[in-house]
Amino acid sequence: MKKVLAIAGIVVKELYRRKDFYVLFIITVLLSLVMASVNFFNDDKIVRYLKELCLLLIWIASLVIAITTAARQIPAEREQRTLLPLLAKPVSRSQVLLGKFAGCWLACGGTLVCFYLFFGLLAMSREHSWPLLNYVQAMTLHWMLLGIVIAFVLFGSLVFAAPSSNTTISFVLVLSILVLGRHLNKVALQFSEPGRTITYTIYYLIPHLELFDVRDLIIHNWPLIPWQYWAAALAYGGFFSALFIWLGCWAFQRKPVN
Amino acid sequence: MRSPLLITLLLVSACFSLAVVIEPRLAYAKVYQRHDKSAIEVILGEARRLFATHFYTKADVYFHSGFYPSIFDEATERDAHMATDAGAVQEKHEHDANFLGQPLDWIDRFSRAFFPSSHTHLDAGGARAVEKHDGHGREEDHDLGESGDVREILPWLKITADLDPNRIETYTVGAYWLRTRMNKPKEAEEFLRQGLKANPGNYAILFELGRIYFESYKDLPRARNVWEAALQRWNQQEASKKPDTFLRLQITSNLALLEEQTGNKQKAINYLEMAKNVSPHPEAVQKRIDELNTR
Amino acid sequence: MNSAFGVANEETFSPSVAPAQNSSRRASSAVAIAFENLGVVYPARLRGESPKLALKNLNLRIEQGEVFGFLGPNGAGKTTTMNVLLGFVKPSSGGARIYGLDVTDTASRQKLGYLPELTYYYKFLTGRELLRFYAKLFDLPQSEAERRIRDLLKLVEIEHAADKPIRSYSKGMQQRIGLAQALINDPRLLVLDEPTSGLDPIGRMKVRSIIQRLKDEGKTVFFSSHELGEVETVCDRVAILNQGEVKEMGSVEDLIRSYNLNLEQIFLKVIGFDENGNALNVAA
Repeated sequence: MKKVLAIAGIVVKELYRRKDFYVLFIITVLLSLVMASVNFFNDDKIVRYLKELCLLLIWIASLVIAITTAARQIPAEREQRTLLPLLAKPVSRSQVLLGKFAGCWLACGGTLVCFYLFFGLLAMSREHSWPLLNYVQAMTLHWMLLGIVIAFVLFGSLVFAAPSSNTTISFVLVLSILVLGRHLNKVALQFSEPGRTITYTIYYLIPHLELFDVRDLIIHNWPLIPWQYWAAALAYGGFFSALFIWLGCWAFQRKPVN
Repeated sequence: MRSPLLITLLLVSACFSLAVVIEPRLAYAKVYQRHDKSAIEVILGEARRLFATHFYTKADVYFHSGFYPSIFDEATERDAHMATDAGAVQEKHEHDANFLGQPLDWIDRFSRAFFPSSHTHLDAGGARAVEKHDGHGREEDHDLGESGDVREILPWLKITADLDPNRIETYTVGAYWLRTRMNKPKEAEEFLRQGLKANPGNYAILFELGRIYFESYKDLPRARNVWEAALQRWNQQEASKKPDTFLRLQITSNLALLEEQTGNKQKAINYLEMAKNVSPHPEAVQKRIDELNTR
Repeated sequence: MNSAFGVANEETFSPSVAPAQNSSRRASSAVAIAFENLGVVYPARLRGESPKLALKNLNLRIEQGEVFGFLGPNGAGKTTTMNVLLGFVKPSSGGARIYGLDVTDTASRQKLGYLPELTYYYKFLTGRELLRFYAKLFDLPQSEAERRIRDLLKLVEIEHAADKPIRSYSKGMQQRIGLAQALINDPRLLVLDEPTSGLDPIGRMKVRSIIQRLKDEGKTVFFSSHELGEVETVCDRVAILNQGEVKEMGSVEDLIRSYNLNLEQIFLKVIGFDENGNALNVAA
């Protein structure tokens, strides 16, 4: 475990020493503040459009950070030949991959805390309320989604030849699932066989990332998600993360190092 | 060899001088005349109307606190409830309260805890009026029916109006909610006047303007003038095509009410007769006429 | 210390093993590395290509305390042999052991130090952070890790740049920090892949002195090099590899005596070239 955490620490250090997070955070803050400065009918209590735009920016930034960070972990180690001295130590490939996952996930968790803190302050400036538990639920579900995405992208980095193709394919898949995942069962009903079976199969096999997107509940001040549902969603996300990591470890064992 | 920097400076100076000489002459050339269009119109062209439709729907989504059918849901054609509730348009279609239906599978059932899945209206408290599975409702101090949360649809209506100034219900819906829930008649009037500028003499906007004078400012003479202008416009514009009887009914009913309040019984009856011709319930209007006659 | 990469004296570097009194004494009869019928075949990458035989039936034993030179022309199989030893490549046949442990077991690398030919490390880390990271991978206690890091930075003379990012290091400095990370766990076995590659003559001299020092401490050093002069100076035994097979092996003195040639000439003869670099008709 110590070795995994040591590798994770390197990943976190790398992310915070690069400019990506700071640039995206500043862009999010600036755009949100510009949006907040717009006057709509002299009413300073209007807040939901601002929450929606801010959360949209946060989601875009977090996905960019998660996917680009995870996609370059193993390929960068191979290209820069830092993988050889690493694997020459008493650490297995599975530990390396787990360490990369833990590092990316923890780093993304840290960025989410910063983003959601800003979001909370922005919303509180207009709403004068702080639904902390709602935000905690939303943030933890968001974090779990990033865990699934990171695990998938790490697996992809061992399958696809180039980091750019891995990044592109991951973005397309993640966005497709977020937009269409919930509706595939309805779409399947429109098809005849074998299209219906294929669509249903996809529907049941994909990780339903839209479960973790509770922005509408936050924007429109819906009550808390029942805690047992929240826990079940986290367990669902944990299962898919573990699955993709396991697949990644399997692929990494078979991949030549140099 | 001559200094490249010096040559560059000379070239820049020459270009600048040429531009200064040519520009005033070209400004008068017909082909270079600036169009009287906003930046959005120039950039988006007619596609701005598509965006306007999207944002108008977005306002209705906000009115329902996010509970809205997607293109995949087998919903009947929807009216924008924020518009029908505002009286801006006649309700044409069935009230589709729950487009979701029964869950199709366990994922569908499970997922309903993670997105808005109850039908609410912002003017009735929105999501705060909903009790979730845990049975804990959220009690509010104020009357949910007077909730000011409906303000949240306004930014989208504003953007819709900017993108498509010819979309009439944007102004009427926005003005209604500004006037009734936000207690901002001044802003509502300003919004309607913006609409009138883009759509001169539109009777729907004039009618809504009359409502502001009648209900908010209590300026009855001005309300009468505006509504009569609206009726006149309706007669002019709708005569040659299938008439918008809904709005004629609204205008004539409100004129009848105004005249009744100011004591002009005969005028009130005349307007009610006009309303009876276009009302889906003429017997109710006749009953009202009879009451006035017996008074 | 009289140069930028001077030899540290006894007080500045305190190894866990006391320096050997007699530099030529072999520390023990334990086998540090054992290659048993090791064969590696790389599969064909493109259609129409045939698989590439990288190593063929390599049998080799390296005793504890030896300094063993692994020689051969480019493409002979030296790096493949090291990659198998380090677990980077799976053997197609046979196997290899480090102190009796199979190389596929991560525990076999606990007492191993490795310096790759091309040294690239995490550019965003400082030298000190890099050593700390590798120390954690060896489960070293923090206090001991800090002590070793201090001593190693002094040994390789990068104390002045220890807290600067590695991206600002010169090639020589990167090589030195590489040597430091190879020694972080006080290894019993050191695997060096062309350790003097890219170094200036002073740097090469320093690396040679460190290898000699390690030898005096009873450590085993297994390294490949094209600098036959250095090999002749520090190695106890050498093996000459060509086309995946060991063509000649033995102690340096025995080979020189037997061939009556210097090591370079022996090398050329074994791989089938004359003194002028022309291929011989008959393989050595």
